Amino acid sequence: MALLEVRDLSVTYSPRDAAAVRAVEGVSLTIDDGEFVGLLGESGCGKSTLGSAVLRLLEKPAAVTGGSVVFDGVDITAAGEDEIRPLRWAKISTVFQSSMNSLNPVITVEAQFADTFAAHPGCLPPDVDARQRAVDLLEMVELDAGVLRRYPHELSGGMKQRVALALALALSPRFVLLDEPTTGLDVVVQRAILDRLRALQSEFGFAVLFISHDLGTVMEMADRVMVMYAGEIVEDQPAEAMMSRQLHPYTQGLLGSYADPRDAELGVDYVPGRPPNLADPPAGCRFASRCQVAVDDCSTVHPELLPATSGAARCLLVERAGGTPVDAELSGRFVAARPATLDEKPVLAVRDVAKHYRVRRRGGHTVKQAVEGVSFELRPGRVTALVGQSGSGKTTLARLITGIEQPTAGTVSFTPSDGSALDVGRLRGRRLRAYHRHAQLVFQDPFGALNPTRTLAYALTRPLRNHLGLSPGAARQRAGELLETVGLSPAAQYLDKLPHQLSGGQRQRVVVARALAPEPTLLVADEPISMLDVSIRAEIIQLLDGLVRDLGIAMLYITHDLLSARLLADEVLVLKEGRVVEEGPTLQVIRHAEHAYTKLLLDSIPNPRTGSTRRNSRAGGTAGLPAAPVIRG
Amino acid sequence: MRYFLRRLGFFLVTLWAAVTLNFLIPRLQPGDPAEAIVSRLAGQSQAVDPAQVEAVRKMLGTPDGNLLQQYGDYLSAVVAGDFGVSYTYFPYTVTHMIGQGLLWTVILVGVTQVVSFAVGTLLGAWAAYRRNSRVDSVITLGSTFVGTLPFFWLALLLIYVFAIGLKWFPEGGGYGGGSNPGWNWLFISDAFQHSVLPAMALLIVGPIGSIMGMRNNMVQTLGEDYARLARAKGLSRRRIALTYGARIAILPNVTGFAMALGGLLGGTLLVETIFNYPGLGRMMLEAVSSHDYPLMQALFLYITIGTLLANVLADMLYGVLDPRVRREEAV
Repeated sequence: MALLEVRDLSVTYSPRDAAAVRAVEGVSLTIDDGEFVGLLGESGCGKSTLGSAVLRLLEKPAAVTGGSVVFDGVDITAAGEDEIRPLRWAKISTVFQSSMNSLNPVITVEAQFADTFAAHPGCLPPDVDARQRAVDLLEMVELDAGVLRRYPHELSGGMKQRVALALALALSPRFVLLDEPTTGLDVVVQRAILDRLRALQSEFGFAVLFISHDLGTVMEMADRVMVMYAGEIVEDQPAEAMMSRQLHPYTQGLLGSYADPRDAELGVDYVPGRPPNLADPPAGCRFASRCQVAVDDCSTVHPELLPATSGAARCLLVERAGGTPVDAELSGRFVAARPATLDEKPVLAVRDVAKHYRVRRRGGHTVKQAVEGVSFELRPGRVTALVGQSGSGKTTLARLITGIEQPTAGTVSFTPSDGSALDVGRLRGRRLRAYHRHAQLVFQDPFGALNPTRTLAYALTRPLRNHLGLSPGAARQRAGELLETVGLSPAAQYLDKLPHQLSGGQRQRVVVARALAPEPTLLVADEPISMLDVSIRAEIIQLLDGLVRDLGIAMLYITHDLLSARLLADEVLVLKEGRVVEEGPTLQVIRHAEHAYTKLLLDSIPNPRTGSTRRNSRAGGTAGLPAAPVIRG
Repeated sequence: MRYFLRRLGFFLVTLWAAVTLNFLIPRLQPGDPAEAIVSRLAGQSQAVDPAQVEAVRKMLGTPDGNLLQQYGDYLSAVVAGDFGVSYTYFPYTVTHMIGQGLLWTVILVGVTQVVSFAVGTLLGAWAAYRRNSRVDSVITLGSTFVGTLPFFWLALLLIYVFAIGLKWFPEGGGYGGGSNPGWNWLFISDAFQHSVLPAMALLIVGPIGSIMGMRNNMVQTLGEDYARLARAKGLSRRRIALTYGARIAILPNVTGFAMALGGLLGGTLLVETIFNYPGLGRMMLEAVSSHDYPLMQALFLYITIGTLLANVLADMLYGVLDPRVRREEAV
């Protein structure tokens, strides 16, 4: 019998003041002892809700409305809390999405281990000292014993996630549910944690359900992958089979959004549209409205999850083709094609710029060199990517370029096409405001960047009236044109909407439109796609690419993601601890990286292809722990 | 340690600024207090006699020397606790009067504040622990309802029912005519009798802030990821409620409590007026209505110092209770 059996599980959110939403609909799955299963899906597909149901952590207004979860013979959905408590952590443990917040902020790490042991008195052999056990656990995740005395806020994100992982393994569970365990972490830190996790899993043999929206990590880590869409599982296949032959058109779209940035030629796909409203799901296939190859029956017949040649899929077309994949005929393909270098004059020149911050420490000050000796130029119609880990000084550079901060040394000079050079670092007051007309920002978080209480028309007319001095009527008309420019058409339909009525991708389009409003010469985009779902990222990249070329804007693209840098940028600067360690044309830097740090960044990218070699070697029985470098980041 | 020293430093600087302002503001006001008093005594129509003005000036002890010298005298007087003579309670000194009122206020308001905070925090935590149950509804709706009642109406209702109707307690005042103030049993029991009604009024309204604050904070902390993880860890509900809920939710409430204690020195004007209670609040009202400048000035200074002290206390408590705050200062 399988370790975990979920049968026909449905979870419904029934808020008091809104329609009920079936977040999880008729999901069945099994996980065997020691199996490593991935659950892949985009935001809102119900994957985390499913995870909470398996852990029986659903809170009002969410509740299981059908089906069951059976773990090791115990029906978790029916049992009382007192029957489940002994099972918790001793057999089922978990690592949450934002481990930034999953440790109690006011007690030490040691106390968090201690209360776990105290809650399960029988689980620790009597001769084992609880503190010693905690030290051993921390060692497993490459943290030293000193961490025990620390409070969560004294640890970095990566360290907290390691503590969370050590905590999850404290009572040697048989099943660990990992819900986005590395989301929000740096790519290098993520690599170290994933490697560690992999080694621990093969050593201890616990089963894993790995929930993530990140295709690369799931495909690399899992033996078997399930894909979830709009509350349902639409495909279930061994990872390798899925890599080579995706059954469901949606899976094809998802995998199409992934590419190895080191490939000589690459393009990415995206799936236009957005998932259906689950308060009122369509009668037929839930993906039909976004599917390019949907037939008439797709909108009326709801497909079942049926066995295919390999695994299972929920698609009428696959069913009719006898379980073989269908070609999704993806429409939105974005191919990285960089035009030859144009000899445009630079609009922005950064020369030997440095930025130091004084950091107060016990008994004095130390100077933090956020940026040191950086030089580059931005040219019209060209994109320069700034690549590096968090803390490498990327955002500080963005602040220097937009004049929000002044450089400690060096100059940032801006030369408009019709004027003389400005020293950005010396601009103040009105002249700084005038400069902001030319240099605009696109923010990372499309949810936080728009005032939730104001309409799109307001968001877009503000810069038009402030910077260009347009009359209210003219500004509104121009706002409509801007929405059309970023692909939100017809604009009249959008102008009076509030941000919460739009999807993440649409919101990011509005943020881009707002940045374009004062007709800037310079656009600084700080991680503009990292918060978006993978299936629509390429869409925003395509939009930015088109705008830069058509409007002749110079763009600084800040990212930690080398794939998007490869797709969008003409040149790349690799930043490490405030210094540029490698720079050059994108293709050159990424395909023939010279600096060790660039190589480390490239090697850290989760790679589905190395996943298959690992799985083979694990089948061969390598259980030893590979020596991994200790990274405190 | 550094955190605490910094807080103390801030306190001293603010205190100095407050004392200085308290010195400067009356001096920047136009007019001569002695002339004002004389003309008030003499009536509006008559001319002011310079001899009378001089006499009043002698009585008040008009300042001599330039502003800087006055400032020095003022500072040393403040440090010595000498605020001059009260106009209304002549010939008692301001310090004497404040000392009298202070004890009444501190006992009445101090005790009820502490009890209110304890009761309110417990009730709020209980409501959050039993969220959406009947207990929660009763506590939340009850405190919202009581919170909307006007305080003076509530106090008058208490007087009407318990003093006038049932005659269980006296209507007002600090002590009755039959007892002599002092540490004798008769006086203490008499004073206690008199303080029951005002204390009751304060205790009905007092806990509401703590209840609502505690409940809402704790509902929020219990919804955080760490509380969910604690459930997943199989910790008992009680343990989660205490270590993962109440322990964190109480932090903002502690600040509120300390601030309320600071306001205590100003007394609770309304309750002392309604119950004719001889505390600082009533004294301030009298000082203001009878233009007793020395008393007013001293009372304002007391309130300022009280608030500042409470602030320091809140910061220090926060530093002890919340490890995150200590670090933010150290960096």
